[in-house]
This record gives sequence, C-alpha cells and structure tokens, in this order.
Amino acid sequence: MKLHEKILTHYLSCTSPVDKEGYLYKKKERTATYHRRWFVLKANLLFYQERPADRHLLGVIVLEGCSVRPSESEGQFAFSLVFEGLKTYRFSAGDRQILESWVKALLSASHCYLSLLLRDLRVQYEEAKQQQGPGDSHRSSSVSGLRAEVREGRSFSAGMVLNAPSGPSKVVTKKSPKLWHRRNAHVTPLNGPAPLYGEWPLVGFDPLEEFSKLHDYYGQEVKRAREEWLRSRQAKEERSEEDLIDLG
Amino acid sequence: MRFNEKELMSLSRQPSEKKGDVVKKRLVKLVVNFLFYFRTDEEEPIGALLLEQCRVEKEDSLTFSIAFLDEAERKYLFECDSEEQCGEWIDCIVKASYEFMRKNLIFYRTEIHRLTGKDPLEQYGISDEARFQVSNGLQLMMRDTSSL
Repeated sequence: MKLHEKILTHYLSCTSPVDKEGYLYKKKERTATYHRRWFVLKANLLFYQERPADRHLLGVIVLEGCSVRPSESEGQFAFSLVFEGLKTYRFSAGDRQILESWVKALLSASHCYLSLLLRDLRVQYEEAKQQQGPGDSHRSSSVSGLRAEVREGRSFSAGMVLNAPSGPSKVVTKKSPKLWHRRNAHVTPLNGPAPLYGEWPLVGFDPLEEFSKLHDYYGQEVKRAREEWLRSRQAKEERSEEDLIDLG
Repeated sequence: MRFNEKELMSLSRQPSEKKGDVVKKRLVKLVVNFLFYFRTDEEEPIGALLLEQCRVEKEDSLTFSIAFLDEAERKYLFECDSEEQCGEWIDCIVKASYEFMRKNLIFYRTEIHRLTGKDPLEQYGISDEARFQVSNGLQLMMRDTSSL
C-alpha cells in the first residue's frame, strides 16, 4: 500500500502545533535492542527520527486502534503501544516523569478520542448557550486571562484557569453498564471487515445520549489507565522485592 | 520511510465515515483523517492520503478536488455520481481533518469556560495537554459548526 509520504512529511514540518516531542528508546524487535530516537507527536501520528535536526524521517506510527500499556517486564520506565492482533511497539523512557508525560499524551492522541471529546463538548456548549438566556443567574465571572496551572510541583504551559464554578456543579452518576471494553485479542480476517475497535453499540440508539455516556466512560478509562500507571509505579517502588505487578 | 502498514490496512477495514466510487472507479473510504482508495473488490487499499494541510474544493457540479500544500502541490480529482454526493464528500473530508477538529475543540472549550466558568476538559484530566491549548498563532475563530 502506498502511503503518500510527502503529505506526511509536509504535515510534520508545517506550522500546526506539535503535541509532544522528545527522546525515547524504541525497541528493535529483530535484534531485541533499544535505540534512542527523537519522537514527534502530532495529531494521531507519532513520527520518529534519529535526531531532532535530521531531515530524514525513520518512520511514523499511526495511532489508531492501539492501547498504551505499561511493560514492566521490559524495564523500569517501559511502555508499549499495542495494536491488538497486530504489532506491538515497545518503548523506554529516561525517567518516570518522561514516561508519564508520554503515556498521558499518547492516551488522548487518537482521532477517535478527539471525535468523541468534540461531540461531548458540542453538547455541553449547546446546553451552556441555552442556559445563558436573558436574566439567567448562571453567569460566569469574567475571565481576563489564562494562567499556568501548577500541579505536583510540575508546571505546565498555558493551562486553563479553573475558577470555582459560579453555578451548581453537575454531578451525574452514570448507572449504565460499561460501554467501552478493553479490546480482546482479535484475529483480523482477510476477507471481511476487521473487528471494531472496542464494542460500540451501533444500532438503535440516541447518538447524543449514548456518546455522552460513552465519552464519560472513555474519559474514565483514560483516567483509570493513568491512575493504574501511577499506582503501579508507586507499588513497584514500595515492593521492589516482590513480583512485578502485571497490568497487561 | 517506515510506517505501521499492517495496522494502517487494518484501519482501512474499519467502518468508514464515507464510502463511494469515484474517478478511475476506485473505492474510496474515509476513515479518521485518512482517505484510502481501493481497486473495487480488493481488500487491500492501493494507497492512503492523510487529510491534513490540504484544500478541498468543488470543481464543478459532480467533481471535487483535494490539493495538498506540500512541495508537489498535487491535486487529486474525484468525480461523484451526484451533486449531493459531491457536497457530502467535501463536507466529510473537511470535518475529518484532525486540525479542523482541534480548532473546534479549543473553541468549544473556551466558550464553555466563558459561559459556565468551568473547564470542560478538567473532568477528563486532560486540561494541561499541549494538544488542547489555545496556543500562539492559533486564532479562536467562530466556525460554522451548526452542521456538525
């Protein structure tokens, strides 16, 4: 299959924002050795090259249909991108902070994820606009700027300011069953469509309601995945003599 | 350049946003921000086009074009069966672009925050991701999202 490379390389070098870049060690499966590569995450594409200044791109990984998993068996700061039934890319970070930062960025990189997020926000936007009717009491205080948000001693650039909400905060308990399942190993048939990413309910549902629920759960999934990471890191530090926790 | 070919081919078999026959009798499938094209009845696509940094234009009543802004500045022409179909394709391709979606997301985020005082991304724990920031050079535009 021809992947029109010029389009990709142009996109990489154009002025749209880079979502994350930095060094990671990538495992070469054939030789079972790790090589340091410069990675650039842009949209749902993970580009890599030997060094940042290199004009020659070594490769790109399209981040659709993959999950981000810890791979402690591979090393302290190791993780993988797992395409169920297909390839697994293995990486190793320099330290815990780099590891967590990359995992977080990769977890929310896919087009599918952005699409869900967008649908959800669109609904929220419409609701917010409706509530902002004449004489409405849910008026938000004016925000004159954005300030950086500092969390756990690490600073992030240009975070959104989080004012105390002026209206009542919405707490909605979702009692519907979990709609986003972890993918099981699938064998991709050659003569038919590949199995769907996750088990989406597709037929006979109200898109707006269901996507809101789906996205809640996806969002929880992302949160849970990150919490798992943090917990596994802490647990590992506390119990270094015991067996490694297998989260895969 | 290496790329995850098998995984990309697997992606091409996913349910597509849009499918149809176009010029040269190719089966064209829009999946996420990729346009795959197949010889009809074949499982493996001939090729894949990343739909970023491109301009989609209506050429005439049945035809639209995708022009990529790279050095080659190649233009791909697609002829549809009907004017309606043509319009649908243009709409879908534009909206499939990750950059387009990102801009809309940033718009909604900012507006929701302005209207409610709450950052809607906070509940997902992604408020600080670089991807979702209002960054320099990224203008906050009112996009016509009524048809989204």
